[in-house]
Amino acid sequence: MAARLNDKITAALVALGICLLVYISLMSSLLVILIIVALLVVLLTYCEKTGLIDTVFQLMGKNTTLTSVIFGLFIISLPFLVKGNNDLLHIMIIAGIMGIVALGLNFQIGGIGQINFAPAVFYGVGAYTTAYLSVRLGVSPWLGTIAGVCLATLTGVIIGLPALKARGYYLALVTIALQTIFTLMIINIPAVGGPNGIPGIPYYQIFGYSLHSRVEVFGLTLPYQVNYLYLVYIVFALAIVAASRLFKSRYGIAWNAVDQDPVVAATQGINLTSIQLLSFCLGAAFAGMAGALYAHYTGFISNENFDFSQSLILICMVILGGSDNVPGVITGALLLTMIDQKLADYANYRLLMYGLVLIIILLVRSKGLLPKRIRIYGERDTGMSNGDAKLAAGAGGKR
Amino acid sequence: MDALKTLKTEKVGINFGGLKAVEKLDFEIGDETVGLIGPNGSGKTTFLNIISGIYKPSEGRVIFKGEELNSFTPDAIRKKGISRTFQTNRLCMNLSVIDNLLLGLYCEQKTSWWQAIFNRSLAMQEINRGIDKCFGAISVFNPEIVDRAYELISTIPLIDRRRIEIARAIVGRPKLLLLDEPTAGLNKEETHQMIEDITKIRDSGDRISIIIIEHDMSVISKISDRVVCLNAGQKIAEGSFEEVSQNENVCMAYLGG
Ligand SMILES: Nc1ncnc2c1ncn2[C@@H]1O[C@H](COP(=O)(O)OP(=O)(O)O)[C@@H](O)[C@H]1O
Ligand SMILES: [Mg+2]
Repeated sequence: MAARLNDKITAALVALGICLLVYISLMSSLLVILIIVALLVVLLTYCEKTGLIDTVFQLMGKNTTLTSVIFGLFIISLPFLVKGNNDLLHIMIIAGIMGIVALGLNFQIGGIGQINFAPAVFYGVGAYTTAYLSVRLGVSPWLGTIAGVCLATLTGVIIGLPALKARGYYLALVTIALQTIFTLMIINIPAVGGPNGIPGIPYYQIFGYSLHSRVEVFGLTLPYQVNYLYLVYIVFALAIVAASRLFKSRYGIAWNAVDQDPVVAATQGINLTSIQLLSFCLGAAFAGMAGALYAHYTGFISNENFDFSQSLILICMVILGGSDNVPGVITGALLLTMIDQKLADYANYRLLMYGLVLIIILLVRSKGLLPKRIRIYGERDTGMSNGDAKLAAGAGGKR
Repeated sequence: MDALKTLKTEKVGINFGGLKAVEKLDFEIGDETVGLIGPNGSGKTTFLNIISGIYKPSEGRVIFKGEELNSFTPDAIRKKGISRTFQTNRLCMNLSVIDNLLLGLYCEQKTSWWQAIFNRSLAMQEINRGIDKCFGAISVFNPEIVDRAYELISTIPLIDRRRIEIARAIVGRPKLLLLDEPTAGLNKEETHQMIEDITKIRDSGDRISIIIIEHDMSVISKISDRVVCLNAGQKIAEGSFEEVSQNENVCMAYLGG
C-alpha cells in the first residue's frame, strides 16, 4: 500500500514537473527554451543510461488517471497562469493542433515505417473543406468540420490505395508530388481564394455562444483564445487516447511488423494493403480534424499554411520527438511549435535557426528525444512480479 | 478419400527466368508429418513459398482441403490455416517477444480498429486472452522465455528465437505447419531439444499436418512419418525414411550433386 502511494506521489511529481517545464518554456525567450532543451537532452540521456526512464514510464503508465487529471488541470488553469496573454495562448493552441496532425502522421512514420511527405495536404483538405462550406455555402462550422474530416480521409484512400502497393522511395515520391499538386491547386483555383486564401471563416458556436467571444471570470477578462484552447485540447486529448490505444492494439503490432518485414507480416495473416491504408486514413482523419480546427480558430487560411515546409516541420516533430512513441510525438509537437513561434522575432534567420536546432538534437539523440518503447500490457500477473517486469522492460529498453 | 487430404499439389511448378526451381511436383499430405529433403538448391524452400502464397506457381494447382489456393495472397492463405517458419529466423527485431508471439494470433483476433479505440475493455480482454495463449504455446518449449516476454528479440539466444518463431506459427492452431530447416545453426544438443519440441507439436493431439525441411537425416528419421526427396525441383523419391534413404536416386543426388 505504502509503495503504491509512493508511486502515485512520484507520478504526480513527474507530471507536475512536465507541466512546469512546459510553462517555463512558454513564458521564456528563445534562448531559455534552447537551454531547457539542452538540459532535457542531458537528463534523458542520463535517465536512459541508469534505466531510470523505464521506471518513470512504468509509473506514469500505471497512474494514467492521476497524470491525466494533472495535465487537464494544467491546461484549464493555463489562461490564468499566463494572465490571459493571447500570444502565449495562441502558441499553445497551435501546438495542440500540430500535435493532432503529428499523432496522425506518426501512424505512418512510426507505425508502418513509411514517410508520408504530405501531412499538410490532409491538414489542408480539412481546413479548406470546412472553410469553403461555411464561407461560400453557409454550412455550420461543426458540420463543415465533419465534412473536412471525411474528405481528408477520402483523400487518404484515393492517394493511399495506389501508392501503398509500393513502399519506400516510391511512396515518398508520390506524397511529394501530391504536396506540390495540392499547393499549386489551391493557388490556382479561384473558388478557394487562390493566392489570397479564404478570409472571414466563421467561428464555432455552441448554442448561440460564439467561441470568439471574450470570457469574464473572477474579474479577469480573458481573450477568446481561452475557448479555443479548451476545445483544441479536448480534441488533442481524444487523439492522444486513440493513438495510445491503437499503439497497444493488434493494429499497432501489425503496423510495426509490416515496417520490419512485409513478407513475414503477410504470412501472419496481415493484409498489407488494408493495414497500411488504415494507417494512412487514420492519419488523414487526424490531420483533417486539426485543419478544420485551425480554419475556424484563425478565421483565415491560405496556401502558405499548408505547403511543403509545413509538411517538413510536421515530419520533424515526429522524428525529433520520437517516432512510434505517443509522449515523444507530443513532446516534439510542443517543442518545435514553441521554437517555431518564438523564432518569429528573428524573421530572417528563422529557418536557419530552426534547421540548426533540429540538426543538433538529432546528432545527439538520433532516435529522437523519447524513442520508441516496448509495449507493456497492463499490470497483470504474468508469472513474474512487477519488479521483474520492470527489469525486463529495462533490459529491453537499453538496447 | 482424397478430399480428406490436408494439402495436395498437382504438377506445381515455378520458373525464375529460365530456371525451373520447382517442376511438375505432385505432393500430398494428410494428418502426418512429412519430411522434405534434397540437396541445396533443390527447390524445397521455393516449394514452401508456393504453398504459403509468397510465390505464385507458374503451372499446376495447390489444393488445400479441397479448395484451390493458386490465386490467394499469403495473408488469405494464413487465414485458411497454413502457417510457416523461415529458413533464416525471421522474427520482428523491433518488437518484443510477446508482440512477436501475438502476431501469430492476429488473424484470429476480432477487435476492429474502432473497437481498439472506443471499446478498451473488449480490446484488452482479447489481448490478455492472447497473451495467455502465447505464454501457453511458448512454455511448452521453454517456460523461461515467458520471463523474458518483454525483451526485444535481439537479446534472445538462437534456439529460443526458433522456438518463438515456431510458437508464433502454431499459436493460432493452423491445420498445416510448414517448418523450413528448424535446426539450421543449432548445435547437437540444441538440435536434440528441437526434435523434442517438434515431437511435442506433432503429438499434441491437435491433428496438425507438418511439412518439415531438414538437412539432418537423424532429425528426419525421428520425426517424419513419410519422406519426400527433391532434386533440381523434381520429386525423385517418396516413402518411408528407410525406403527413401536406400533409394539410389537419392544417394546419387546427395553424392553426385
Ligand atoms: N526469388 C528467386 N529468384 C530467382 N531464383 C530463385 C529465387 N528463389 C529461389 N531461387 C532459385 O531456386 C532454386 C531453389 O532454391 P531453394 O528453394 O531455396 O532451394 P533449397 O532446396 O535449398 O531450399 C535455387 O537455384 C535458387 O537460386
Ligand atoms: Mg532452403
